[in-house]
Amino acid sequence: MSLKYRAAPKDDLIWHDLDSMTLLFHRPSGITHMLADPAPAIMEVMQDSSLTASEIALLLIAQFEIESAADAENIVLARLEELSGLGLVARVSG
Amino acid sequence: MAEMHQILLKIGPAAFRIASAWRRPLEELEALYRDFPAPTDNSVDFTVRLEPEKPWRRFIRPSVHIGGDFWLPDAAPLPLGQGLLAAEMGMNLQMALGWRRHLLLHASSVEKDGKALIMTGLSGSGKSTLSAMLAERGWRFMGDEFALLDLETGDLVPFPRLISLKNKAIETMQQVVPENRFGPEMKATPKGDIRHLIPPTAAVARMDEPARPALLLFPRFGHAPELRDMGQSEVFVRLTQASTNYVALGEAGFHALTRFVDRVPTKAMDYQSGEQAEALIQSLWSKLP
Repeated sequence: MSLKYRAAPKDDLIWHDLDSMTLLFHRPSGITHMLADPAPAIMEVMQDSSLTASEIALLLIAQFEIESAADAENIVLARLEELSGLGLVARVSG
Repeated sequence: MAEMHQILLKIGPAAFRIASAWRRPLEELEALYRDFPAPTDNSVDFTVRLEPEKPWRRFIRPSVHIGGDFWLPDAAPLPLGQGLLAAEMGMNLQMALGWRRHLLLHASSVEKDGKALIMTGLSGSGKSTLSAMLAERGWRFMGDEFALLDLETGDLVPFPRLISLKNKAIETMQQVVPENRFGPEMKATPKGDIRHLIPPTAAVARMDEPARPALLLFPRFGHAPELRDMGQSEVFVRLTQASTNYVALGEAGFHALTRFVDRVPTKAMDYQSGEQAEALIQSLWSKLP
């Protein structure tokens, strides 16, 4: 079964857009993260659901009306692993 | 324990007790801070202690170890002749490591018409000298080392300490400021030649009056005069690096700094002389809302 991911709870996060990047303050750790596209969009489409990289790629393609890219899932997976390392998304078993 | 001498100083919102094993650094401090009020109820935020490195070093080749509420374990002691510098460094250290009531930025600042110009950058950028120079040309001096941002209002709170002039800046300011506003010249300190300058009287008299941040500059001395735009992301990162307490303040620091970056126009400024800098600043200032 594909690995699923879940974003950190909304109440733990404070978002702030700058010109070219997005700031994300993570309340539990007190760490400020600076995210470049597409990481903020990935977290936005995840909302409160547990999703696989492939499901997230489909949501991104639909929401941002981008053409389906063959490697979209791999890009999303790489970003999810980075966000997971930062504690901003969690791997969900099952 | 050996007898300690002490004085109390109130600078902007912060009150200090400076305790010293020797009288001389305190006498120098007293003379330089003569226009500053004492803390109202004798309560202080921080204590700085100037003590001999070893008990016998009080008398034999006296060397000053900086101690206090906050201290760095590897801070090298200074010769007694630089005791004034040790006291100033000690106060800086207490602020940098211990202050939590404002977001603290390594920056100089001056004010005009209720609006504050804030200048930040690496050591040698000229931010301290520029603030000292502008303070003699119609601006109110607010601080040369730390800019204090109010966490609730976003206003800049004055912290008009002695201005620490280094190397060539000493001669530059000696040409425009009378001798009685200078402290003793300290040659070949760990920070180079140092001479302290007393801020203009108005800066001390109005040190409880905040100002609204209106312009942020990243000055760089020694390059052909130029103003450059800076992206918000770069500004944010550089200000987190310029802040000594951003991380410690947590969410309050995040809100204060993002608000500052959103609201305050920012430029990088290259210059080769005080006159050039003043002209560039004036060109920006005249266009502010």
